[in-house]
Amino acid sequence: MKILWEEMSVKVSKQQQLTDQLIMEMTQQKYSNKFSKLFMYEASGAVVCYIMAIFMLVNMGKLDTWYLLTCGILCVAFLAILPFLTLRSLNRMKGLQIANYNYKETLVRFAKSKKKVLLLQRLVLYISPLFFLIVIPVMGKMFNNKDLFQSDASAFPWVFVGVFFVFIILFSRWGYGCYQSMTNSAENVLKELDE
Amino acid sequence: MQPKQDFIQTIKENEGIIYKITRVYAKDREDQRDLYQEIVYQLWKSFDTFKGQSKISTWMYRVALNTSIAHLNREKRKGQMVSADFEFLDHLNAATGKIQEPELEAVGADWQAQIDLLYAHIQQLNLIEKGLILLFLEGKPYDEIAAITGFSVSNVGTRLSRIKLKLKKNIQN
Repeated sequence: MKILWEEMSVKVSKQQQLTDQLIMEMTQQKYSNKFSKLFMYEASGAVVCYIMAIFMLVNMGKLDTWYLLTCGILCVAFLAILPFLTLRSLNRMKGLQIANYNYKETLVRFAKSKKKVLLLQRLVLYISPLFFLIVIPVMGKMFNNKDLFQSDASAFPWVFVGVFFVFIILFSRWGYGCYQSMTNSAENVLKELDE
Repeated sequence: MQPKQDFIQTIKENEGIIYKITRVYAKDREDQRDLYQEIVYQLWKSFDTFKGQSKISTWMYRVALNTSIAHLNREKRKGQMVSADFEFLDHLNAATGKIQEPELEAVGADWQAQIDLLYAHIQQLNLIEKGLILLFLEGKPYDEIAAITGFSVSNVGTRLSRIKLKLKKNIQN
């Protein structure tokens, strides 16, 4: 195996392919970085959340009962805190200085950061159905001045809510499976490094 | 101007290292291009911080391997725009068996197949094992592998023995 590798290395070293121009082009990072793209998606999501939170704060006065006010405050808290935590964890992963660490340290840092991101995303997954439940009466009051807790039950769009709720639960379960396997793989790396 | 020329020279002298690392860590050809570019970019970014306390190749292996880990932890990029012309990678892949080119038939189909198989077996290993076996195959002594990876010299030896056994078993199967 080693002989084969050495033979291949000799062939590769003979194939001097890079030009000065090509090397400098690669240092310019004209391409869109994968991680920047992910960060951009998350940042766009955060902007939407903050706009919603501001809208709710401005209209908070319309929530005239203690339960609607509680729902409103919880909604604003979710919308403000979760995107902030997600962006912070992604930023930490992005900010790792690659040249400062050895291979083992880099593996540990990435596995730990990944676990944190996954934990946070899992938390978001659990909170989503709850958020959905509390945002409906808040929006109902803010847009239509209707207290859904007090109004006629037959007027409530139960079918829509039911279908959407089932979708959210199924989506959350699927997401949980994905996150679980990714978390396991990060944990395996950490376990193996400890051996 | 001098750092730029030094950097270009360093990359040219060690382009084989980057190529072999990208081939071990990348999932496919497109991914290999992305990783190659990312490694060169990271090397350039940290070139100023290289103080010459270690060999330039040790520093290169460290940055390139760490970049590969970071690369694997990022989401698959969709519709990326690679600015550079990566034809050279195809030539290297052809010369070492990854893709077949008629003019390179002289290299020998058997040899190319063996190289493909060698990479295939290495790619089956986990991240820790990949890094260690790559450095071992590159002929690095245990103390240099320890310096690059952060494992102790004795741990490098133990892990490499286990990896060799694992590879042997995989090849026999």
